[in-house]
Amino acid sequence: MIGRLTMKETGIGETFGLGNRELRVEKVGWWQRLVELVSRNPLVFIFIFFIIFPFVVPYKALATQIIIWGLFALGYNVCLGYTGMLSFGHAAYFGIGAYTAGIVLIRLWQNIWFSLLCGLLMGGITAFILGYLCIKRRGIYFAMLTLAFAQLLYFVGFQWVDLTGGDNGLRNIPAVPLSIFGLSINIYTPLRFYFFVLVFVASSLLAINRILQSPFGHVLQAVRENDQRAKSCGYETSNVRWMAFVISGAISGLAGGLYALYLHFVGIESLYWTTSGQVVMMTLLGGMGSFIGPFIGAGVFLYIEDTLSVITPNWMIFLGPVFVLCVLFFPAGIWGTIKDLSTRRRK
Amino acid sequence: MEWTAIVMQLFTGLSLGMLYVLLALGLSIIFGLLTVVNFAHGAMYMWGAFAGAATIAITGNFWLALVISPLVIGGYGLIIERGLIRPLYGRDINYPLLLTFGLQFIMIEIIRIFWGTSDQPFSAPASLSMPLEIFGVFYFPSYRLFLIGITVVICIVLWIFLEKTNLGLVIRAGTRDPLMVRALGIDMRRIWWLVFGIGSALAGIAGVLAAPIRSVFPEMGIAMLVECFVVVVVGGMGSLKGAILSGIIMGEASSITTLFYPQMADIVIFLVMAVVLLIRPSGLFGKAGLLE
Amino acid sequence: MGEILKTINLTKNFGGLSAVVDVNFVVKKGDLQSIIGPNGAGKSTFFKLITGELEPTRGQIIFFNKDITSLPQTAISHLGIAVSYQITNIFPMLTVFENVRVAVQSRKTTFNLWSKAISHKEFVEQTRHILEQINLSDFKDEIAANLSHGHQKRLEIGIALATQPKLLLLDEPTAGLSPMETRQTIELIKKIAQDLTIILVEHKMKVVMEVSDRITVLHYGKLLAQGTPDEIRNNEEVRRVYLGGVKI
Repeated sequence: MIGRLTMKETGIGETFGLGNRELRVEKVGWWQRLVELVSRNPLVFIFIFFIIFPFVVPYKALATQIIIWGLFALGYNVCLGYTGMLSFGHAAYFGIGAYTAGIVLIRLWQNIWFSLLCGLLMGGITAFILGYLCIKRRGIYFAMLTLAFAQLLYFVGFQWVDLTGGDNGLRNIPAVPLSIFGLSINIYTPLRFYFFVLVFVASSLLAINRILQSPFGHVLQAVRENDQRAKSCGYETSNVRWMAFVISGAISGLAGGLYALYLHFVGIESLYWTTSGQVVMMTLLGGMGSFIGPFIGAGVFLYIEDTLSVITPNWMIFLGPVFVLCVLFFPAGIWGTIKDLSTRRRK
Repeated sequence: MEWTAIVMQLFTGLSLGMLYVLLALGLSIIFGLLTVVNFAHGAMYMWGAFAGAATIAITGNFWLALVISPLVIGGYGLIIERGLIRPLYGRDINYPLLLTFGLQFIMIEIIRIFWGTSDQPFSAPASLSMPLEIFGVFYFPSYRLFLIGITVVICIVLWIFLEKTNLGLVIRAGTRDPLMVRALGIDMRRIWWLVFGIGSALAGIAGVLAAPIRSVFPEMGIAMLVECFVVVVVGGMGSLKGAILSGIIMGEASSITTLFYPQMADIVIFLVMAVVLLIRPSGLFGKAGLLE
Repeated sequence: MGEILKTINLTKNFGGLSAVVDVNFVVKKGDLQSIIGPNGAGKSTFFKLITGELEPTRGQIIFFNKDITSLPQTAISHLGIAVSYQITNIFPMLTVFENVRVAVQSRKTTFNLWSKAISHKEFVEQTRHILEQINLSDFKDEIAANLSHGHQKRLEIGIALATQPKLLLLDEPTAGLSPMETRQTIELIKKIAQDLTIILVEHKMKVVMEVSDRITVLHYGKLLAQGTPDEIRNNEEVRRVYLGGVKI
């Protein structure tokens, strides 16, 4: 019989001389086993899935868009899901990453690796500076401050026309071929670009996975669970949060850089607060605190947008209520709810 | 530059500051009592302006709009609190914030569907359209004078309500110690409900008052919301005194910068905020640790 | 033996209310010193002053001849003072093992981003040892929030022990426990008291009398009496104001 063994502490056992343990066998369906398998090995599953992914979506560019936003949401999740900080200003790091990569390619050096590296670093540095101002305050204050500083950067981007192109956006980012081992490869076909992005998504996933399993990763979770106790264990918790914020900003910056390469263009709205809002919605829809959630969230969000925006420009009228209902009834998001359902004990 | 121009600009700044004050007061009393940051506050302000525009379109009467709009938005706030926010009390403090955040997208989209995305015409009533001449050198637009006057009146009424009435006493006590008030046998849920309504009504009236001097369009509340966050953070979260002082400071800062260095006009309030935060992390009148 | 902790005229006022008034208090190395007193006697405030959660209005706290008054909480933790809280204060969604391991690791590293936590053998060993000590080895993979109250209180002590303190503050470790669990906790306290200096705040007199080397009585923030359990038991004043004249 296929089943799951659960140990449950109970008082009854003692009377029957079983110690205080009771063995129980539950029957589990195939989908529950699948969910368990996936949540145990999220990385393996994500990699396999993303290799097939571009062939099952309506068109390949949508797949690229989903994994770039998924990467952004993954970076955001380091902040919200793993450290418990609700930021409403992640457009700042995404936008800065995008502008940096674009400006580097246009003005500095036509090298893709270097431009993305700069995007990542600038995302991290910006998060480092703004983090210093925001991180000491928690909860609601933090949400408001991050939003306010992101809006500041938006206005700066808007006004600094010489550098950013202002309202017109940063145009004509060159489609530089990728140089690797002395070879020069054109990556600008939809499928090639998808796999190019996937390389960065996969490396980021591995890196975050590594960080989460490191001693520091455990401190992060301890801080999320109980900041006060972590402090009394001797952790400088505001520094821990700051570090998480910087990591989160750097990954968002990388996602922004990839987005700039994908569009050959950076719009001013990448710094706008709707971008921050979008990543918050994706992460919550998908389910925070997991690897899979952000990607599911990005996928669902962009797929709905893609489908509905053909029918009506007011597609947010559908997505808005979905989000509100999600907050009200499914705070664990899609993936979290699936996981809860699959582990719920049968009554 | 002529000094009269500076005085005029200070005056304009004061009227902008009054809008900040009205909105920040609404945000602040809701936060102070319910510990809910209303992300839909900007959208409510926008709805207030549209409700006013609709009233004027039907009746042609600005004064009626000034009464109806806060009533409509206040009533809407009551429905939202009961239907959507109340179920979230007792959950993590971030959830009401996320909920109202989602709500504002819906509110903006509804307006876009019915009114489109373009600016709506909205003019001040004829009786307030003539500038008021003082000493023969100043020409103060009388609508802005009216705006300043009515905000002062609202602040005084709110102050009397909070300081002198029994209900106000309960609200202030509730801000400090909800458990205590509950122990007195008062149903705090009723109070919270009411306060959310009052806060929303303040956003509604700010919307109508802003309409003749700022453009009326679906996204008008977004930038305003962020600016009000800045006002509230600088004033100190939950402090009404702070909201008023900081609202005026920010209105003036933005207005004066417009005169001397217009590129910085949108940015200056954020810089003021950064400086205040570095010197006084909990804002001008904030208590440390209130929100943590 | 030497003094580990000493407070000199330690005072804390909250507005007009004095929670702790001019307390001069000494703990000797190896002792288990209890603090008793009626509700509102300032015991918890006193703890919070020592751990740096609250700043004293005046007075000094000396730990190993070093003035630690007004040092931040984290610094005091690193000097070797740990606290086990009255209200269970654990990391609810982490496993029991993780709860302790994170505390163990706090002595060595914070920003180690690139090694595997599990590869740090000494942390794992130490964690195992502590879990054995607090008798929770069987539950190591359980999510802490799912533990019974009694087990959570033991985990609470475990987290404090994991920071390898020189001085351990226990704030009502047996509050809300069944008689059997209380018994187990008493044994645990006795065991760890063998090589650790402890300050214990406790309401249950039986526990206090059984485990303490010395007892301090606080009354309305003031130090009322100090001495061995026997001396306290026979102290007229203590009996009058605190125990209502009942003999213990």
